[in-house]
Parts: sequence; structure tokens; C-alpha cells
Amino acid sequence: MDTGTKISAIAHVTLIGWALFGGTFRSEPLPMAVQEVSVISAEEFAALTAQREAPAVAVAPGGLEAPDAPPPAPQLPEPVDEEPPRPDTVTPPEPDPEPQPAPIEAPPEPDVIEQPPVLAEPEPEVAVLPALPESQPRPADKIAPEPIAPPPPDAKPDDIETPAVSLDEGAETQREQQDQTAPKEATDQIVTEAEQGKDLSPQRSPRPRARPSRPQPTARPEVAETDTPSKPAPQDQAAINDALAEALGVAEEPAGPPLTGGEKDAMRLAVSRCWNVGSLSTDALQTIVVVGFSLNRDGTIVAGSLRMLDSSGGSAGAAKQAYEAARRAILRCGAKGYDLPADKYAHWKDIEITFNPERMRIK
Amino acid sequence: MMKLLTSLLVGLTLLSAPASAQTGPLRLELDQGIIEPMPFAVPNFVPDTPAAAQYAADISRVIAADLTGTGLFREIAPEAFISRVNSFEAPIQFADWKAINADALLTGAVNLSGNTLTVRFRVWDVFSGQELGNGLQFSGPTDGWRRMAHKVADQVYGRITGEGGYFDSRVAFVSESGPKDQRRKRLAIMDYDGANVQYLTDSAAIVLAPRFSPAGDRLLYTSYESGRPRIYLLDVGRVRKQELKTQDGTMSFSPRFSPDGRSIVYSLTQGGNTDLWKMDLASGQSVRLTNTPAIETAPSYSPDGSRIVFESDRSGQPQLYVMPANGGEATRISFGQGRYGTPVWSPRGDLIAFTKQNKGRFHIGVMRVDGSEERLLTASFLDEGPTWSPNGRVIMFTRETQGASGRSSLYSVDISGRNLRPVRTPDGGSDPSWGPLLN
Amino acid sequence: MNVLSKIAALGALALVTACTNNDPSALGGAGGAGALVPGSASDPRSPAYFQQAVGDRVLFAVDQSTLSPEAQTILQGQADWLLANTDYTATIEGHADEQGTREYNLALGARRANAAREFLISRGVAGNRLQTVSYGKERPIEICSTEECYSKNRRAVTVLTGSTAG
Repeated sequence: MDTGTKISAIAHVTLIGWALFGGTFRSEPLPMAVQEVSVISAEEFAALTAQREAPAVAVAPGGLEAPDAPPPAPQLPEPVDEEPPRPDTVTPPEPDPEPQPAPIEAPPEPDVIEQPPVLAEPEPEVAVLPALPESQPRPADKIAPEPIAPPPPDAKPDDIETPAVSLDEGAETQREQQDQTAPKEATDQIVTEAEQGKDLSPQRSPRPRARPSRPQPTARPEVAETDTPSKPAPQDQAAINDALAEALGVAEEPAGPPLTGGEKDAMRLAVSRCWNVGSLSTDALQTIVVVGFSLNRDGTIVAGSLRMLDSSGGSAGAAKQAYEAARRAILRCGAKGYDLPADKYAHWKDIEITFNPERMRIK
Repeated sequence: MMKLLTSLLVGLTLLSAPASAQTGPLRLELDQGIIEPMPFAVPNFVPDTPAAAQYAADISRVIAADLTGTGLFREIAPEAFISRVNSFEAPIQFADWKAINADALLTGAVNLSGNTLTVRFRVWDVFSGQELGNGLQFSGPTDGWRRMAHKVADQVYGRITGEGGYFDSRVAFVSESGPKDQRRKRLAIMDYDGANVQYLTDSAAIVLAPRFSPAGDRLLYTSYESGRPRIYLLDVGRVRKQELKTQDGTMSFSPRFSPDGRSIVYSLTQGGNTDLWKMDLASGQSVRLTNTPAIETAPSYSPDGSRIVFESDRSGQPQLYVMPANGGEATRISFGQGRYGTPVWSPRGDLIAFTKQNKGRFHIGVMRVDGSEERLLTASFLDEGPTWSPNGRVIMFTRETQGASGRSSLYSVDISGRNLRPVRTPDGGSDPSWGPLLN
Repeated sequence: MNVLSKIAALGALALVTACTNNDPSALGGAGGAGALVPGSASDPRSPAYFQQAVGDRVLFAVDQSTLSPEAQTILQGQADWLLANTDYTATIEGHADEQGTREYNLALGARRANAAREFLISRGVAGNRLQTVSYGKERPIEICSTEECYSKNRRAVTVLTGSTAG
């Protein structure tokens, strides 16, 4: 072989290598300096905690500056601040967009024998078809018991749907102007990239038979639905409660009939709308927690009454996360008070909810 | 009043509930909830001195990006804030954060003293007004500010989700540039989020498929440096490499560490046949684990080191098999249609991620270790080579686009199939290997 | 690194590319290219003749490493040439198309290279003159993503690595 060519080639390669990369290597150790991680000292922490225990809500917080962004974020007007509302029978706010907490079926996955085994495999190739295109859910970043249609463009996301109210001088009912809110758009199951589009090819190995589906927790009376639309808004409810209490002239609980299935379902749904398990660990998603709390007559939560009564299926740590998610659900959706029949206060004064995430695990 | 009547009517009609004692609590069971990113707020951390202001802002942004990037959290834009946090010690105005629907709030402060940064923070559950965990602080040199931010984000993630985070970790990968038929490949390492890319080899030789050691201090990879594929062991800190010798005339590739980091399992090709072997790193001695005329490659240890999952075409096309770590009878676990490859055991041990090729499409999927509950997470022209985040929650992989201008890049996806997103790298990227959480 | 040196490097790369054939493997061992004599394709003893007239590559079906009758004809020609030109040794490079995972394709390429090598040995070429290496899907010659390109990438290429008499 031609020595000249060899030398030339070697020189070329060396030159390229040097020119391209010679200057860029770091032969020094990567910056892996171990960084001290220290917990705040007990004294420091105590000091901080002490300060933290100052009144949490000052009426006019001294240090609070006006936000520097010119348009302050629209703050939801507290219904309490409104003048005593009159029952509005024309357009009652509809708090229940989805009256049915229909149990979600496992995604339709008919088991289909694809074809006789080509090779002498022990098992036939079995595959599961994804949902057909018509029922193809479209991806959204929220998964809810039932799909929620895209919200009106101006609505800001809120778990509690509120119709837009604009200032209208001729209106009979005076209400503060408020932004329309609507629940965020949601699908009822996770749509992975692999499930999008119209790829109908079988994509899965046979999986063990799903365990037999559990009996419906409660047979829902069909009448329940007709019940819902006539519900007064929470604030109306509060007024009714007060009126009732006054009229009856008793401080003690009226012994009303027990809650109907529909009323229980409404309450269940009210909490489930805020029960977000999207940020729970897989362990916490296998933990059932029972949370107890008490309600005031107006449906608001008695401060400090929330507690975890029981947990099962996960570690203590997982139970803590599961409880925190449940607590957030109860507090968040109950921020304006739960809508429950006032005459049955004795039946819902204390509530225990079992949060079972089993069916939320593989959505 | 309508309401009362209706309720009464309903109650009478259905005779639904027995007239039980009114004294017990109302018991309900919920099995339906929602799955959506949790809204959180991260007001800029409070700088103790003006000199710390830039760090405070940057750290806050990295934390927010870490959390948002998981798909489990959604940051509330600072413009929406009602309260400002001007002091780390001041009481939190929870009503202001409730009003903007923040479920969680992160407050913090940054101190700069000489070359040392100290970050203090607290995590709050807004609706209950309670602190999640205790206040904590991290200290370190200023040039490690990103790591400090990642550490804070790991804490926040852990306190809210209940599982370990993965932000303070690194990814080894192959940086790719140039056209498809002249592609230049260099071994590189970066933070999990694509920051701080450093190159460990030049592009004179093709490099493939790096794998982190369990401790994250070494890398195994395959290089054509000698003219044929050979396995190299690289000390990450010193950027010093050594070839792991195998017999002359053979090709060795597809190396993976055992969980104790003392041995590796790899593919050795003799003649046209590829089998799995195991090498003790101290002695350099290898023993054969499989002995078939089929191709056996892409092995991966179970986290307890007792089993190996690998890819073999002994049935006619590539499928996944599990065998004892010292060899022996292998059990096929993949039975769906198509070809299965590159199985990777999850750090928790309960799942196996894999590449699936079916009807001209590639998928990244997960299945249980017995092959059940297969679930495909992605679909594209070419996806391959999954690697697990240290907490087993996220999978990073290679996605290559089609055609003459096809380009290779890194993507990540949550194991639920949500939150598919590209990982930014300076050039193209392939063959990611996610390292452990740093100390 | 400054811009000038980058430009210089790129220029150098272009030069190297220009003075070798287009097969990237030649970068590693430029011996074959070094033995090229211009206009020698007509010289039956030249590597150029081997490359062009005999045919230095055989193609494979999807996922396969078996030799088609056409491939066997080409390999027979290679065997004849190697038996007549005993000064040369060769490395057989196995390749795969991009439809497959990286490591599996590496093994598949090795199978293909080995199939070609076994054939040459069966026709009398000494085994110690024939090395194999696989590039898997790392070095396609055609870069489109259709079967037209894939079929050309599923190949085993016999690269003359030098004359032992050299």
C-alpha cells in the first residue's frame, strides 16, 4: 500500500479529530461537588414555626402590596358578600353538570383471536382491539369520570360551574358581575399516543381476565335526575336553611327522612369532581382511605373537623398522600358549601367518605 | 320548598333507605375522581440580598419547570397571583392562593454568601392551610445552583406524590449530528432536563447504547474504536476509558451492569451467532449464559439481580424472555403481535419497558414481568430504547423521524402514557440511559 | 475552538471524503482505497474490478440472512476472484435496514456477514483471509425510508482490506 496515502489519511483524520474536538473535552472531573444537605436546625425551625402561627388571615394584611401586574387577577366574588339573594327560578345556577357518576367500564377491549399461530407457539396470538374510532376519546390533559366538553372560550377553569353574569340594569335580580366559569375540558380515560389515530391493529398481549366487575355500589333511583335541576343554588340553600331553622324555632335537629340515593349520589359527585388523583404515586393509588368530617348547616366544612379514620392497602406514607388528596377534594369542592337538603341536616352533619382509587389506577 | 317536596316524594316513592338511626354519620364511597395536573404556585424565591436575586429567580424557574415537566403539576402563571411573597417568614395568605385555585404553594428564600448559595423552602397545602413536610435548606457552590433547584423540586415532588423524584439525575446518551449516511455519534452526558451537556468521546468512531452503572459513576458503551464493536467501561468523573476484552474476532455489544455493579451481562457474536455472556469486572472472566443458534441480545437485570430479561429470535422473530441471572431455562413473556425488543426492567421491579414493532410502526410499551397487562405508550415511525427514571415513573427513549432528512431525538413519557414530550439536546440524540439520583 | 479551525476541519473532511470512496468504513482502514489505480476497473486483478465487475455486495430479504440464488452467483464470483488474487484479504461488512432495534440489527448484520463468509469458505477461500464486522443500521447507503432504500441497505459488502504482499 502506498505509504503516502496512509500518512495522508492518518494526518487528515488526526487533523479533523483535533480541530473538531480537541478543544472541547473536559478531562477534569465533572462538577460533582457534593452539596451539603442540611435540615434547618430545631431552633431555627421553631422560630419559623412560631412566626408562621401568627394569625393566618389578616383582614387587611399589612405587608400585602398591590400586585404589580396592572389587571389584578379576577377574583371570584364570594357569594356570601352578595345581598340576600332571592330565589331565582328562571335560571338557577346549575351546579351539577354531570348528574351521573356512571361507573366507568373498562375500555371496550374485545378479545379477538387474531389468527392461527404461525409458528408452533404454545399460545395462539391473542390480541385486544383498541376502541373503535367513533368511540375514540380525544386526548385532553384532564381525565374525569365522564368526558367534559370543551369549555366556552371565555370561561376560566373551575370545578364548580358558574354561568357568566353580566351587569344588566334591567335584570330583575341584581348580581355582581362575575366571570363565567366551567369545568375544564376532560376525557374519561387516558389516551396514549399509541391509542390515537385509527390504528386498529391488535396491540396487546392477552392479559389475565379482569377480575369480575364489582356489583354497582348503589342502585341509583332514576328519579334522582329530575330531582337535580330544581335544586336551589347553594346560597339559596343557606337561606332556606336559615329560614327553616327560624320557622321551626328549634335549635335541635329536625328528624327528617334519610337521604335518598340521588342525594347521596349528588354529594358523592360533588366531592369526586375535586378528587384529583393525577399527582399520586402508584402506591398511593392503591391505598383506600376513609376520611371523616363535619358540616355546618350551610353545608360548609367545620374547621378542623377533617381527619383520616382508616386506611388500607398501602404504606403509611402512601396513606398520607392519599389522605391529602382526599382532603383537598373535600375542602376544594366544599369551599362554597355542599348542597344538601336542609331538613335532613341530622343525617349529613357528620360524613365519612371512603376514597377507593382502585378504578382510577389504570385509566 | 320545591326541593323539600321533591325529596320527600322521592323518599316515599322509593322507600330506599331503611329508617335507620339518624345519629350515625353519612357514609359514602367514592371510586371516581379526576386525573389532572395539580395546580401549584411558585412565587419567586425571596433573595436575602440583591446579589442573590438572579439566583433566586433562576432557581424558582427551574423548580417550576421540573414540576410542570412531570405532567403531574400545572404551574399557575405568576401574573395571576394576588399575594406577593416578600418574606420567607411572613404568614401565608391562604385565601389569596385559594382564590386562584392553587392546590399547592412553594415558598423559598435564597441566600448568597461568598460563593455559597443556600436555598430554604416550604411546601404548603393551600386548601388545608397546612405545611407538607418541614422546612428544609440546601447549601452548595453557586455553580451548582441548578442541582439545588432540582433537589428542591425532588422534595416537593416527593411530598406531594409520595414517591421519590428524579430531577437531580443525569442522562447518558449518544449525541448525533450529520446526515443519516454520515452520522457522527459522540457519547455525552447531561442533566435529566437537557442542561449541562458534556461530551465524553469524539466522533471518530461510532458509539452506541451507553448504560449507567447503578451508582452513576461509570458508563458502559459500545464503540467501533478498534474497527469492530467492542465494549468500553468509562469512569465518568475522570473521563477515562478501558476496553473490556473479549476474544479476538468476536463482536461484543449490548452491555448492562448487574445491580451490584460488579459484573456485566452482554452480547457476544462469534461467527454469525449472538449469545449472552456475563463478565466479572474484577477478573475480566466471562461465562456463557445462553447457547442457541438464535440472536440473544438487549439483556436487563431485575433490580434484585436474580433474573435477566432479554430479546431473542429463537421463536422466529424477536420476542422477550426471562431467565435466571446465571442462565438456564428462559420463559417467553411477550405474545402479542409484532416484534418485541430492548426490554428494560423498571427500578421498582414490577414492570418491563420495551420496544415493539408492529405493522410498520414502533411503540414504547410496558408490561408486567409475567408479560401481562401490556400497554403501549407511544406510536411513531421509529421509537426505541426505553430507559427508566430513577423512580420508575417516567420513560425516556429515542424517536427517529422518517425519510432522508430523518433525525433522531430524545423523548420522555409518563408510564400512564400521558405527558409525551421531547427532551431538548443541542444536536440529535439517541440511546438514553437514565442514571440514578445524585447524592 | 474558533470558527476558523472549524472551517479548516470541515475542509479537511471534504478532502478526505473526496480522496477515498464513499464507503465510510474506508475511513477506518483506508488500505483498499490506497491500492486503487485510476481507470483500473478493466484490470481483472484490481480491487476496482472486484467492486464493480464482480460485485462487492449481496442483498438480503427482510429479517433474513439466507443467500438468494442471485447472491450466491455474486459470491461465487467473489470466491473466484479471491482464489485468483491470493494477495488480498477481505472484511465482510453486514448491514441492516432501519426497521429494527439497534442492538438486534447489529446481531442481524453479523449473521448476514457470516452467511457470506461461510459461502466464500465453502468455495475454497481460506477462512483466515476473511474477517466479518457488523454495522447494524448505523451505516445505510440509501437514506430514504421506503423499501426501495431498505432493500439496498440490507447487505453484506466484501471490502478488500489490503494485499498481503503489500
